[in-house]
Amino acid sequence: MTVAADCALDMRGISKNFPGVKALSNVNFAVKFGTVHAVVGENGAGKSTLMKILNGSYAPTSGTIKVGDAEVRMRRPADAQALGIRMVHQEINLVPDLTVAENVYLGRMPGKWTFLRKREMVRAAAAVLDELGAAINPRERLGNLSISQQQLVEIAKAYAAQPRIIVLDEPTSSLSEHETAALFRILRKMRDDGIAIVYISHRLKEVLEIADEVTVLRDGSMIQTRPIKGIKAADMIRLMVGREVSNVFPKSPAAIGKSVLRVEHISDGQRFRDVSFEVRAGEILGLTGLVGAGRTEVARAIFGLSRLVEGTVSVNGREVSINSPSQAVRAGIAYVPEDRKGDGVVPGMSVRENISLPILRRLTRFGRISRSADRALARDSVKQFSISPPDGERRISLLSGGNQQKAVIAKWLAAKPSALILDEPTRGVDVGAKAEIHHIIGQLVAGGMAVVMISSELPEILGVCDRVVVMRDGYASEPLLRSELSEERIMALATGEEMA
Amino acid sequence: MEIGGVNRNDRFTRGSRLVDVLSKAGLAFAIVAVMLYGSLVSPAFFTSGNLLNVLTSMSIVGIVVVGMTFVLVVGGLADLSVPATIACGAILSLGLQPMIGPLPAFLLAVGLAGLIGLLNGGLVGYVGINPIIATLGVGTIGLGIVQAAVGGVIVYGSNPASAEFAKGRLFGIPVVVLIFLVIALVGHFVLSRSFWGRWTLATGGNYSAAEASAVPVRAVKAGAFVITALASGISGGLLGLTLQSARPLIGGGYEFSAITAVVVGGVSIVGGFGSVPRAIAGLIFVQLLTNVMVLDGVRTPIQGFLLGILIVGAVGMDAALRKRGVA
Repeated sequence: MTVAADCALDMRGISKNFPGVKALSNVNFAVKFGTVHAVVGENGAGKSTLMKILNGSYAPTSGTIKVGDAEVRMRRPADAQALGIRMVHQEINLVPDLTVAENVYLGRMPGKWTFLRKREMVRAAAAVLDELGAAINPRERLGNLSISQQQLVEIAKAYAAQPRIIVLDEPTSSLSEHETAALFRILRKMRDDGIAIVYISHRLKEVLEIADEVTVLRDGSMIQTRPIKGIKAADMIRLMVGREVSNVFPKSPAAIGKSVLRVEHISDGQRFRDVSFEVRAGEILGLTGLVGAGRTEVARAIFGLSRLVEGTVSVNGREVSINSPSQAVRAGIAYVPEDRKGDGVVPGMSVRENISLPILRRLTRFGRISRSADRALARDSVKQFSISPPDGERRISLLSGGNQQKAVIAKWLAAKPSALILDEPTRGVDVGAKAEIHHIIGQLVAGGMAVVMISSELPEILGVCDRVVVMRDGYASEPLLRSELSEERIMALATGEEMA
Repeated sequence: MEIGGVNRNDRFTRGSRLVDVLSKAGLAFAIVAVMLYGSLVSPAFFTSGNLLNVLTSMSIVGIVVVGMTFVLVVGGLADLSVPATIACGAILSLGLQPMIGPLPAFLLAVGLAGLIGLLNGGLVGYVGINPIIATLGVGTIGLGIVQAAVGGVIVYGSNPASAEFAKGRLFGIPVVVLIFLVIALVGHFVLSRSFWGRWTLATGGNYSAAEASAVPVRAVKAGAFVITALASGISGGLLGLTLQSARPLIGGGYEFSAITAVVVGGVSIVGGFGSVPRAIAGLIFVQLLTNVMVLDGVRTPIQGFLLGILIVGAVGMDAALRKRGVA
């Protein structure tokens, strides 16, 4: 490619001040055409602010931006789009009730002013999806697709606009390893077409795999831009946190006791069948598999959010019948859901109000919530989980993802469950918060709790769990001991591609 | 670590301060402005007789407003069966007087109104029917039954003592106003201090998160409609006793007055945010404005026109502020 060496984007001396805070100070950031440029940094390091400036959402306080050869001034996202800059957000921003094709061309439907050329649109969308190697029917209603397919549609939408620069924010957070590999094929193709790709991710392994260059941000400053060759994950972590993180997955050994949660031959008649496992006190059981294998459905059914048609659930040796979350709580089961924004927090409420929600009745006397008990619970939780900022009265939606997650876990621990199910507890949180969450889980099992952890991230599963159950197409494998496991073995079980 | 959090927070507090100023102090200013304007244009406005009148008629709607606040906060959009429940309360509390006496008649009327609410709540909370459709349907059925029961004629009161009581005063304050104040205080306590209120706010704020937090979301949603129906039943009963006559269409228009007040008070139409005092501030503003317009001789169509603008403006502001606050 002749354009390969040309500079697609050159941001120089970018600073951004918000009242009282310097979000970015003097950041230089340049991306070449035909390369994948990763941006890494902890939550709050300034990645989102930098991308919002690139996207036209924020104007920088100072600094210059060149796109191609021309210096530009962007006032709104539409300006950035006109310059060929497209952003794929972490959260899916599509219309579930429209078809895939309509979503791909949303906002810039082909055709004259009034009449949409539907057939043309479907054909064009099909071509784009095909080019990306995504097997998705353009006439399908978007809401019928899995999250990972929706993510691909989001990428197709950006790609269809024929951008010069494409920014992907945590594109793999809802993808399984298998789907991630497919995404990488797509990214390499776009790169080879000469598109400049900015890739934001917490997953350093992926950064090492896909990126050509990496820029590390910390506390609003650019720490370093380096070619990916010769850099190791440990180097990046050190640059990101400014300190040595000895063990990303600390597993504190805990004495394993008697069986706490036991499910036998459970089935919801649809998404999973004949699933059996047990978790013992002090044990972390991993539940992994590809997205859509039925892991979340199993968890939701155990917790009473959906119905079981077959099988039994027992807690501490006693069979329980659970038809609602409140029955699950009474039986001693807690569930931290996968979709933090959708199922985890009530965004308009404070941290305190969120934490006390499941056990409100216990804080109530004659119908009135005891203010002191409510406050004390929030205070203790904030302290125990080092939720930052340490203010129970703050609206939970204003916390970073990692801190929201800590609050959601705190909410469930207030109910003092004997078994805790965590669904992707570290998705989309930064390295520091992730280690903290692992540390918390470690403490819980050390205290005799039984934990089921659902995760797509194999290093996490292998690092944290005592035993692992792999799900595929609604069926669960036998539990495997950690010593019998490797990433390859889990992937083989998850995809059914080979029997190891 | 703080940078991202703080800047988002800053955006939010700006939005929140605006929300506060506009819906708390803003409404207070508006109320004062209307009162000033009223006393300027009409000598009749600032008289104890007129203000007591406003207060009394406000109280009847106000009782419904307390219930309607729960419906909006829980994310139940609106209860359109209010006219039917008011009619039920009014007609039964007068019609049953000769048979079982005034107080049992009143209680039975309110209880039956609550039954309508239970039906609404069941359809909305458990079956999952759109609240507008469900309450419209149930209201139409309820009104039909009430009309059939009384044969479509006007029912008159037969117990002068109860009429005296309803129209009477205690410490110089009309009894109806006192009842409204008690209900408003209870409603405020339940919504802001009790576990039920917290559940209501959580269910309206994020239904699935509330469900996953072991909140009995279906019951909470249904409960808001039962609360509104009970409130409307009481309101209708008092209306019947004050007027000493009730016809099936006695409650017409109360649903819109109540919704207008709640929305103008800044309670979010999508749920999750709001309080009884806010809704009552909205009610005071709308009632005073209407009163001033009447005294000022503003023609009825123009009145409707202005109130309509007020609703659209309030809802538009809610949407705009919500965007700002959440973004």
